Amino acid sequence: MEAIKPFEFKQCVSILKSTGRKAESLRGMREIIAGVSDESIFHHTYQYFLKGHILEYTNDFAHWSGESLEERALAERLSGIDPYDFSTIGGLRNELLRVIDDYLGKFPEPREAMPGDEFYFNQTITLTFPAGIWVKNLAEFLIAVKYVDAGSIYYHFYEARVRLGGGVDDFSAWIQDVLLNEGLAAGIRSIDPFMHTVDGIREHIVELVEDEVKKSMEIIRQ
Amino acid sequence: MINQYSGVSPKGDLVLLQKLGEKLKKKSFLHVNSTRAGGGVAEILQRMVPMLVELGIKTRWEVIEGDDRFFDITKKIHNAIQGNPEKITKEMWDHHYEINKKNAERLDLEANAVLIHDPQPSPLVKFRKKGKWIWRCHIDVSNPVKEVCDYLMRYCSKYNAAVFSVARFTRAMGIDEFIIPPSIDPLSEKNRELSAEEIHETAARLKIPVDRPVILQVSRFDRFKDPVGVIEAYKIVKKYNDCVLVLAGSPATDDPEGEAVLNEVKEYAAGDPDIHILLLPPFSDKDINALQRISSVVLQKSLKEGFGLTVSEGMWKGKPVIGGAVGGIPLQIVHGITGFLVHSVEGAAFRIRQFLNNPDMAKRMGERGREYVRNNFLITRQTRDYLSVWYSMENKGKSVMEL
Repeated sequence: MEAIKPFEFKQCVSILKSTGRKAESLRGMREIIAGVSDESIFHHTYQYFLKGHILEYTNDFAHWSGESLEERALAERLSGIDPYDFSTIGGLRNELLRVIDDYLGKFPEPREAMPGDEFYFNQTITLTFPAGIWVKNLAEFLIAVKYVDAGSIYYHFYEARVRLGGGVDDFSAWIQDVLLNEGLAAGIRSIDPFMHTVDGIREHIVELVEDEVKKSMEIIRQ
Repeated sequence: MINQYSGVSPKGDLVLLQKLGEKLKKKSFLHVNSTRAGGGVAEILQRMVPMLVELGIKTRWEVIEGDDRFFDITKKIHNAIQGNPEKITKEMWDHHYEINKKNAERLDLEANAVLIHDPQPSPLVKFRKKGKWIWRCHIDVSNPVKEVCDYLMRYCSKYNAAVFSVARFTRAMGIDEFIIPPSIDPLSEKNRELSAEEIHETAARLKIPVDRPVILQVSRFDRFKDPVGVIEAYKIVKKYNDCVLVLAGSPATDDPEGEAVLNEVKEYAAGDPDIHILLLPPFSDKDINALQRISSVVLQKSLKEGFGLTVSEGMWKGKPVIGGAVGGIPLQIVHGITGFLVHSVEGAAFRIRQFLNNPDMAKRMGERGREYVRNNFLITRQTRDYLSVWYSMENKGKSVMEL
């Protein structure tokens, strides 16, 4: 019998680095988005969920537009951008600019942020490392998912989407390819990444896997 | 020592510390600041240095020496960087440099990584030998006196990198700038778990009644901490809910305004036996810990703030916190999730009443706050970040690194 390829839990940690650029108004933010590094765009969009708490928005640009500029309609539109729709940062950058330009066309003079509340463009240096946990079956997987740090869930559920592309995360990929459980893999893939915190994602995965483990225990009992 | 943090700090932080320790093993790491005791920097270094040594990194901590004039000048530089109008003459800058030069002759500055804390020892970079030099700025530089900041930047821009506590404090220096928030030590006297006896002993000795909810603010008697605003908020709350207010702080000997503010506060509080103004001697860490633990609500109603770690201290004890939306406080309080941010006396009063009348909500936010601090503001995270910055500088150009 062929040995099952274990799932290795990894995790990532990001160190914030300043780009030295800040925006005081929507026009200022637009100009900087047009020229700032790909790493900075990546940080303010894809890494938004690293913050790990419930928020009204889905990226930092929407958050700042809503909270600091109080441009609610723009915040809603920016929140509607799905970064996983784009295969390059350039594509995502253009979409951000398109939405902002469209808004500026209709409302040319939005207010400025209060002093001290400017938008600071940052980027990150990310370190990935093994969490020291390998699992070989769903029961072990369930215990590990409950136990690992949020940084590990982030790495396998969010970061993996950029790494693997096509809306695929590491968990569902292993469950489908190695455990050959397509139903559970599809269940995990159907969790909306934008509607939960990292811990909310963890809870949903635990729920789905727990059901599956219970089902297989019942089959064994019969 | 690192084992003591197992079960307290996030597992990943401890794993990463070990990994980075393996990568940087036997390399040397030098910290330099201007005081061995007193102040947040020394407090953290006392614990961080043995942790780094245990990881196998040859770590030293040196302290610069200077005369009274030197420290008078550096105090003025410090104030000017934080925005107070001060004039630093050419002679003063020369003295600042000369004292650092003497220290450079006395100290062994050779190390693979050198972390210089704050402006006092910043000119040491002129005497660098080898290794990566990093300037760690712990103070608020968002609105400095320009001339003083420009002069200081002559030194700071000579470093390989700078580290600031909050993104808002960064500035275009032409070198790499990292953002690393400060931290609290969960095992220190100020934050460790206390027994019920220890807590009651403090409450009894300081004559704090525990039969009613206690509202607490721990801070220096400084106008920027708005102690009078705290009393005004308490007076509004008192119309609806019976409670006790405790304002606890150390006498600020280096702050000429401190006494005037304290007198104002006492005058404003006069006649209300439920307002307790406590002047605690320096190093009253255990008493502050106990006061935070007997409180129902912890306030930090600052009008201006560097980082405001008292917020994290309160959150670590599972307390609902209310803070002014200034400095580093919004980084710690996620409004409505881990506490409330307020902008006025009325706002503070309203949120206190909300907490006093909704104990379940207060408990829930307190629990979330504790987890938020666990994941973001413990010393193990700060140590991990310093090593990550050093390691990233050794691997310059890479934005993702696998360990």
